[in-house]
Amino acid sequence: MTEPIEVDILLVEDNPDDLELTLHALRREHLANNIFAVRDGEEAVEFLFCTGRFQQRDFDHLPRLVLLDLKLPKLNGLEVLKRVKQDPRTKALPVVVLTSSKEERDLVASYNLGANSYIQKPVDFDRFREIVKSAGLYWMVINQRPLSNPAQASRAASQP
Amino acid sequence: MNSAPRILLVDDNPADANLTCEVLATSEHPAQVSTVQDGEQALQFLHRSGQFAEAIRPDLIILDLNLPRKDGRAVLAEVKADPALNEVPVVIFTTSHSPRDIARCYELGANSYVSKPGNLAQFFSAVRSIENFWFGFASLPN
Amino acid sequence: MTQPSKNGNRNQRLHVLLIEDAPSDAEIEIAELRNGGFDVTADVVETADQVRARLGKNSYDVILADYSLPNFRGMDTLEILREKNLYTPLILVTGALSSETAVECVKQGAVDYVMKDNLARLVLSVRRALEDTRLRQERARSHEQLAHKVEELARSNCDLEQFAYVASHDLQEPLRMVAAYTQLLAERYRGKLDITADRYIGYAVEGATRMQALLEDLLAFSRIGRNGVTPTPIDANTAIEEVLKNLAFTLKEHNVTITCNPLPTILADRFQMVQLFQNLIGNAIKFHGKQPPNVTISAEKHGEEWLFSIFDNGIGIAVEHKEFIFKIFQRLHTRAEYPGNGVGLAICKKIVEHNGGRIWVDSELGHGSNFRFTFPAALADKAGKKEDYELSAENLVGR
Repeated sequence: MTEPIEVDILLVEDNPDDLELTLHALRREHLANNIFAVRDGEEAVEFLFCTGRFQQRDFDHLPRLVLLDLKLPKLNGLEVLKRVKQDPRTKALPVVVLTSSKEERDLVASYNLGANSYIQKPVDFDRFREIVKSAGLYWMVINQRPLSNPAQASRAASQP
Repeated sequence: MNSAPRILLVDDNPADANLTCEVLATSEHPAQVSTVQDGEQALQFLHRSGQFAEAIRPDLIILDLNLPRKDGRAVLAEVKADPALNEVPVVIFTTSHSPRDIARCYELGANSYVSKPGNLAQFFSAVRSIENFWFGFASLPN
Repeated sequence: MTQPSKNGNRNQRLHVLLIEDAPSDAEIEIAELRNGGFDVTADVVETADQVRARLGKNSYDVILADYSLPNFRGMDTLEILREKNLYTPLILVTGALSSETAVECVKQGAVDYVMKDNLARLVLSVRRALEDTRLRQERARSHEQLAHKVEELARSNCDLEQFAYVASHDLQEPLRMVAAYTQLLAERYRGKLDITADRYIGYAVEGATRMQALLEDLLAFSRIGRNGVTPTPIDANTAIEEVLKNLAFTLKEHNVTITCNPLPTILADRFQMVQLFQNLIGNAIKFHGKQPPNVTISAEKHGEEWLFSIFDNGIGIAVEHKEFIFKIFQRLHTRAEYPGNGVGLAICKKIVEHNGGRIWVDSELGHGSNFRFTFPAALADKAGKKEDYELSAENLVGR
């Protein structure tokens, strides 16, 4: 997938079926113009921190929302979440965990690490679509996102 | 969510609190709403102290920013710094649209930030969207 | 030699520092000045230390210095003056001096030089030096006053804008309560009270809703210039595209034809540009006459400025109203005739002026209006390779 500069949603998902379903649901509802998907935790970290394969990206163009699976190859979702939420440059980025895990400890760990929200992927197709639609709507439309650039944000934070 | 979800609503404006509660009461997932009007009471509620000794930890906190005694930002900071409380999602629900406030709240760890619309229908819709998402689709820590 | 005094103020006080090692020369110079109409008090010194000491203790109107003394170079006084941040004029009064040296001294900061064998020039030279000092002091004073006024003005502006912001911001909350609850009353009690009550509630709702719109506009107005956004190069064509998207419904509803000529790239705040164009185009559509609205947008380069025009075939504006309409809250029609608060053009004016431009309207009642504004051309022109394109309602629907 060629990667546009302005990315609305970053999907971190290694399961191709789930990926397809999510993309389809998001596109159908016209919730985002530019959705970019990465398949493992390492790629996600590179993308968000503008390193490695994504060196040419910059912190002015962070995605507006990250949908993050937990079971990922190379680097698991909780680790990605931890790094994003502990770095001041990315901390304010809305990260919604979207996972098949039913483990209570994953849920608690996610919220503890600062996940903005946690959604369990249902088995049912239609319900899955409904969830993606609702989450997309809430996080892209209802929720006020912070300014994407920490320099902008700290400028904003210091204004009278 | 087996039992009715619990919401702590922190809003010093009784008119707004009233509207919010109305929407929450008529939802698909009727919630138990406790309302407090200032930041200090909010923290007492969450710490189960004083008059709130019997309080139960809420599943969701809907928090206004401009509150008497202790303002919303201070409440947010305390909640998110407290390991016993920080997993409770906090939705900031405020009239402020200021980028400064938005940035500050996310810095302090707010889960979500929703601006109170000026228009009645949109206000209802916003509250509806909040409870619909958080209780209909998101999973919350017990 | 006596010198007739030039302007009869025989008693003009003159405090002189004379740097001269020959007492007789010093006396002659002082006498010359007295003859010239000055009431002279003089201190005569010879060394750098003495110069420093005197300058430290007293203030002098002029310094007369010999070029070379046994223990001191007269010109070194300039350095001492600089040290002490003094601007006392220095006149060299000296014996033989080559013209090159003399000119060099003046270049280095002496205000003049007078030869000891031509002391007739001394009085004139001193008068000129005093006049220069006076002018310099006056200029410094008026600069200070100006700076002070500018600071006051800036502070006052800031206060005003803060006030407008806080007022409208803080007014929104109680207003929201009124608007929400009167609406609830209207919805839930309609038909349950009497007809009069319904009507009263209707008026209350209308008032509250209008005030909300007004406050939002006022807030938008006060925000211009306060949000500290740095201007970036904005392609005006894309700003227009965004406006047309925002107005899509209205364009369709009124069957509007828009012609957009190629527009340049300008240095501006994107949000403000969209606001500016949207207000102007919105007005062009709103104040239409009997025919479907036709709006043409174009820009021409005039020297260092871009001149934008938004031309419409609407109802036009009478000559006497052309300035009035840019004032905040001024309207020419009742709300029944045309909706609106009267803030749109005031916002346009503020945006344009904040960016260093001017805005005005060329119009005739009944013959459409041409709203024009200028924008400094800070960038190399990128007028865009877009063709003229005509957008009609049908084209837009398909998008």
